[in-house]
Amino acid sequence: MRPLKLSWTAQALIVLGLLLVGLIILLTFERPPVRTEQIGFRGVAMEQLQNPRTARQVAARNVVPAAPEAADTDGDKARDIYENVQVLGELSAAQFGRLMVAMTEWIVPQHIRDNPDSANGCAYCHNVQNMASDEVYTKGVTRRMLQMTRTINADWGNHVAQTGVTCYTCHRGQPVPAYAWGRLEGIDNRAGLAGPTGQNRPTAAINYSSLPFDPFTPFLLRDDDIRNITPRTWLPGNNADDVRIAEWTYSLMVHMSQGLGVNCTFCHNSRAFGSWEQSPPQRLTAWHGIRMARAVNNEYVEPLTPLWVRNPRGPADFQTSHARLGPQGDALKVNCATCHQGVNRPLLGAPMLRDYPELNLVGRGPLRTSEATAPAGASRN
Amino acid sequence: MTAFVQYQNIFTRIQVRPPAPYPGVPLPPEDIAREGTPVFNHLFGRFGDAQVGPIYLGIMGVLSIAFGTLAFVIIGLNMLASVQWNIIHFVRDLFWLALEPPPAKYGLQFPPLRDGGWWLVAGFFLTLSVLLWWARTYRRARALGMGTHVAWAFAAAIWLYLVLGFIRPIAMGSWSEAVPFGIFPHLDWTAAFSIRYGNLFYNPFHALSIVFLYGSTLLFAMHGATILALGRYGGERELELIADRGTAAERGMLFWRWCMGFNASFESIHRWAWWFAVLCPLTGGIGILLTGTVVDNWYLWAVERHFAPAYPQLWAPVLDPALAQGAAR
Amino acid sequence: MAMLTFEQKYRVRGGTLVGGDLFDFWIGPFWIGFFGVTTAFFTFLGTGLILYGAAIQGTWNPWLINIAPPDLAYGLRLAPMREGGLWQWITFCAIGAFVSWIFRQAEISRKLGMSYHIPVAYSVAVFAYVTLVVIRPLLMGAWGHGFPYGIWSHLDWVSNVGYQHLHFHYNPAHMIAVTFFFTTVLALALHGALVLSAANPPKGEVMKAAEHENAYFRDLIGYSIGTLGIHRLGLFVALSAGFWSAVCIVISGPFWTRGWPEWWGWWLNLPIWRN
Repeated sequence: MRPLKLSWTAQALIVLGLLLVGLIILLTFERPPVRTEQIGFRGVAMEQLQNPRTARQVAARNVVPAAPEAADTDGDKARDIYENVQVLGELSAAQFGRLMVAMTEWIVPQHIRDNPDSANGCAYCHNVQNMASDEVYTKGVTRRMLQMTRTINADWGNHVAQTGVTCYTCHRGQPVPAYAWGRLEGIDNRAGLAGPTGQNRPTAAINYSSLPFDPFTPFLLRDDDIRNITPRTWLPGNNADDVRIAEWTYSLMVHMSQGLGVNCTFCHNSRAFGSWEQSPPQRLTAWHGIRMARAVNNEYVEPLTPLWVRNPRGPADFQTSHARLGPQGDALKVNCATCHQGVNRPLLGAPMLRDYPELNLVGRGPLRTSEATAPAGASRN
Repeated sequence: MTAFVQYQNIFTRIQVRPPAPYPGVPLPPEDIAREGTPVFNHLFGRFGDAQVGPIYLGIMGVLSIAFGTLAFVIIGLNMLASVQWNIIHFVRDLFWLALEPPPAKYGLQFPPLRDGGWWLVAGFFLTLSVLLWWARTYRRARALGMGTHVAWAFAAAIWLYLVLGFIRPIAMGSWSEAVPFGIFPHLDWTAAFSIRYGNLFYNPFHALSIVFLYGSTLLFAMHGATILALGRYGGERELELIADRGTAAERGMLFWRWCMGFNASFESIHRWAWWFAVLCPLTGGIGILLTGTVVDNWYLWAVERHFAPAYPQLWAPVLDPALAQGAAR
Repeated sequence: MAMLTFEQKYRVRGGTLVGGDLFDFWIGPFWIGFFGVTTAFFTFLGTGLILYGAAIQGTWNPWLINIAPPDLAYGLRLAPMREGGLWQWITFCAIGAFVSWIFRQAEISRKLGMSYHIPVAYSVAVFAYVTLVVIRPLLMGAWGHGFPYGIWSHLDWVSNVGYQHLHFHYNPAHMIAVTFFFTTVLALALHGALVLSAANPPKGEVMKAAEHENAYFRDLIGYSIGTLGIHRLGLFVALSAGFWSAVCIVISGPFWTRGWPEWWGWWLNLPIWRN
């Protein structure tokens, strides 16, 4: 019998194939050393994993801009000096100016601030000939966002604690936060043979899994039941949820983990996901976070939809590529990643709010002129 | 290197070939003829038997392949439709795509085709195909005057398949409990199934099934290695050695007797193998069938049966905030 | 003495790797050899340590005994006995016993004039174990990454390691390993059944041999791998299952720290179809 001989073409193809496989392996994986942090009892494998090289990049993305010198709190209040001040009336003139400058830096893109027509960015929200005018819609949006920030810091201490949030927590120098979500039915608009199922479409927000791709509408806009696991008894007949419904919760949890740069064992001992007794205290913080995101979406984001529908690319004079609406024409809403941006404590826990006491003086009373205020009775937590 | 390859029995160095491929033992008169002209394939001969074919198709074989292909095509077309017939997206997203069972609202009714109906149709044809193939495993054994052990082993696998897609959904009263057809989606189902029913690791039948899964792997490694190691004594002639124990069988038996104090015979090792392999899907199917029908939370069941280990509490216990607010959300 | 009818003529001296004739004897059915002695030493010591751990834990219920590895804070150092040191010494004994067993199998293979397939196959299983408790902990920098020794507690470890990666089923090596495991069971069922069906025909039929085995499989699927080939295939798929299991766990952590579904992003983002 003759020995096996392969043609040159076959040999070349085999070598090329092996090189390709080797390349994929080299390029798609990480490498040791890795950083680990133990959470539970030894041997239970509740651990957080981190690639220190990725962690350096994350740290670089989460640098807080230097705070300007504190403003003088004495003197006349802004409401007495300026016209049509609706939410920042309690600030001193110096504080008012300081916050305006800070917000411009936090939200208006650099290239617009550099544009001489924008008057250092003021024109992004103001008619610079008449600063009191509400004609630029972004000013109205900003009022509600300021009230939202105040609400989060004042009422949601069980989630944001003393660290609190500022505009920068989400915006990071952009008019639209980098991580926001809109409804995605559009990508599931299927031909006649196969109806929509709400899943099996990889998106980055759910870690590229084939789980339901929009866990946000049911859980962060509506308050559908997140819990699927029967508590306290093993007997059947107490829980109508099926496996497919459980996949929706799983999808939300995958998003939360990814949004925070942690894994499931940050909040759960996976042997008993439902058990609060075995869960680390972080789960409680996360529980409040879900409700906070839901409240923010319902009370602050959704009601502003008409403004964004009229201005889908931002103020008329300074349009940017940032879409104000999702693919279905709904407002871009918040989820966990909006603030957290892949980090367990947003901005790596930097207490940024401390440097901006102005944000704690925001008035939460009804707005006189805005066309977008919270609907009555939308204050569910 | 050459000596290693030859003596370690990993590949066949010298392929002995008859002048013509072997047509197979005669079939009973009521059977039709075998199909295809047998050929020799060098690469196959390196590892196993070089002869490929002939095959006995028969009416059941043809129908089984036809129904199986039909199910496969239905699943594929559904996946293709779900990406708006975009071939590139079909290739890119193939592992993510699925034909999903109907939503819970339809219970055990036949839903609209586009809302899970195709899942039932595909499942029906796949089941038909599998059952016809089962009959084939049985009939082919009888036609050759052999026992029907292959058929009954296959039946154990069919049991698991039917529990997953048919028996348990009926017991739960909804097709939505069944497994989707799809690579990643069926893995999502598996994970979500374990989460929903309180951790399948605490399901003792799941544990048994894994024991038999690993046990089968261990057994096949032991058995395959033993036979290959006996190559120079003709250890692979198992049936001859069952009928008339030769030195290969004696050495194989003594190896394990001297190693672990116990040995099977050349026949009984195949009984061990058959039972380990059959018990894997058999116990697995029982474990799936009990989940949700008899036990809704395996972890809590394990706690009540006192076999869930306890670990020291490292933090102050957290209370369910929903209880404080009166709404379990 | 428990000896098979034909056993006496095989009980001859020789074949040892270490110790010459010193340990070349049998106790009951067991052949001892130097590595039998070391196996017994490590086994009794390790089992004794497990029992000691159970006594410290305060339970004799075999389902609940849990020998946990040290806290991660100990890194790659030795931990106090009650805080994971036991796990370290038990691991040492286990590896000692398993490796001794490999060499014992090699000696018995030599004694019976057999090739080394069995010790080679067994060493793949030992490799998988060593990957779990030595290689991966070394790569991650702490013995605490090993799995705890307990019938149910090790499943909690498996569960949590899985959910450290959000959805472990998306681990490509895990997929390959599971596929090999299932294939092994399928092949084992078919092989066992085929031999039994040839050896145990219906009443009135004569016993069949390889000719019928081949005919059955060719009739069924058009190909019969043959009596030798099935054992090569079986060994290959079984060892592949073990090997890829080791790969799937050693890449989880040292070579991937995020959710496993995310790993597939490279495929979705290939330049040929990225938008």
